[in-house]
Amino acid sequence: MGYDQDLSFVYFGPTKIIFGSGSSTSEVESEMSALKCSRAIVVTDQGIIKAGLLDKITKSLGEKCVGVFSDVPQDSGMDVVDRAAAFAKEKGADIVISIGGGSVIDTAKCMCILLTEGGSLADFEGIQLLTRPQTPHIVIPTTAGTGSEVTWAAVIYDKSKGQKILIVESYNAPRVAILDPTLTAKLPPLLTASTGMDAFCHAVEAISSMQREPIADALGMHAIRLLNKYLPQCVKNGSDLTARGQVQLAATMAGWSFGNAMIGIVHAMAHSIGAVAHVPHGIANGILLPHCMEFNLPDAANYYAEIAQAMGVCEKGSTTKQAAEAAVKGVFDLTKKIGHPQKLSEFGVTEENIIKAADMSMSDGSIVNNPRYVADSGEVLEIYKKAL
Amino acid sequence: MTGYKGFTQEWMDAWKEKIAGSKEYKEIAKDWEGSVSITVNADPSKNVPEPVYMFTDYWHGDVRDFFICDAAKAQEAKFIMTGDYARWKQVAKKELDATKALMQGKLKLRGDLTYIVRNVKTINKVIDLLTEVNTIFPDEG
Ligand SMILES: [Fe+2]
Repeated sequence: MGYDQDLSFVYFGPTKIIFGSGSSTSEVESEMSALKCSRAIVVTDQGIIKAGLLDKITKSLGEKCVGVFSDVPQDSGMDVVDRAAAFAKEKGADIVISIGGGSVIDTAKCMCILLTEGGSLADFEGIQLLTRPQTPHIVIPTTAGTGSEVTWAAVIYDKSKGQKILIVESYNAPRVAILDPTLTAKLPPLLTASTGMDAFCHAVEAISSMQREPIADALGMHAIRLLNKYLPQCVKNGSDLTARGQVQLAATMAGWSFGNAMIGIVHAMAHSIGAVAHVPHGIANGILLPHCMEFNLPDAANYYAEIAQAMGVCEKGSTTKQAAEAAVKGVFDLTKKIGHPQKLSEFGVTEENIIKAADMSMSDGSIVNNPRYVADSGEVLEIYKKAL
Repeated sequence: MTGYKGFTQEWMDAWKEKIAGSKEYKEIAKDWEGSVSITVNADPSKNVPEPVYMFTDYWHGDVRDFFICDAAKAQEAKFIMTGDYARWKQVAKKELDATKALMQGKLKLRGDLTYIVRNVKTINKVIDLLTEVNTIFPDEG
């Protein structure tokens, strides 16, 4: 796995990681104190409350929890952020603690900006506009896949424009992520499989990205090792906390990996088919990944050969090309082993949908970092057809 | 080859000409709508005593306004890009990728980031064409 002589990059990953079963209750208060904070607003959603994940954590915070905002919907919006930030201000909060998945975490990230800077979220639409550290944020993720606990981007729906807005700010990376495997123990098998494949996809795409670099490679490669070994165990037995923990760590490592080295065609296609036919992100990634790897083979064989080694599917004495092909087959096999859906049509996707999505994929920013140059939407459509 | 003093109206005209003359640009940018302002922060030690504000406007593959402006006009653009002189110089010399620079916080951008993400190729092409302009930089001339 060589790098050019003119390799130059910035690696960024400032989030402190606390890992361990029960850490969400045993460590959260001391982490808060270490940040010199004493008034926490907890952000979560109704699902987390119903699953009984909230109470223990707020109890462990005691009087340091000054309020709980639990009205975060699936695709959170700017109005939600505004309400949550106003609530936090009214309570005099000096730290935000998010407990949940991507939507909850992104809502909390945006709240931190409003708590520090004031104003409305619309004023901060853009990239790297902030000039100072924001309100501290501790993330306690309840899913394992997005890597959002260590990335510094947030996606929020803007009702007035009828579209999502993107805010990317290094100064707003979460300060601490507490990874407690017990919180993911109840995730159902399909969600476990698809969110796990999202993480797997982050790692593969970062390793083969045009912006690949050694630190992101190292993190992505180990994420692949862990997911390959432990994701099947998680799906088979959700309460296997060892496996759950390793998958959580893998998702976090993959988050650092793609947060720095970016993603490629799989995500471009997953974003597009998600927008056109509402296929969930993880599922679209899991279905499309091996097909896209097949497409990328001519330009990504070196990287995929290394992935084959990490997955333990590389036979001794095989050429780079053979090893790379083994990686593609290895990913197909992994998705089958974990009972991941294999076809987009299982989610109601039609021929018409994929024509539209192929067009959209060409103008998705992720495609720019794909190792193989994508000449036109016809090439993307061919991949969709294979996955339909 | 004629050289142009960087970050001046003549230099902008040369850049605009490159863009207007590029068939490739016309095709890539066929969906792009709107203006981008560029602010170069002052750096007296590099012979940039005052900030420089530039207003550039693009419409479906065509180039429209391209001029040195004031701070207020720069704020009117659909996208507002800001950075230190040293960073912009690196971009103009192709030593620094503009999208990487944004990700790394070396440049700042205010505006609809999802639009930028969808049109990264247009941005890259405009910058590529800038690197073709023979520039005399303020701290080199
Ligand atoms: Fe993803």
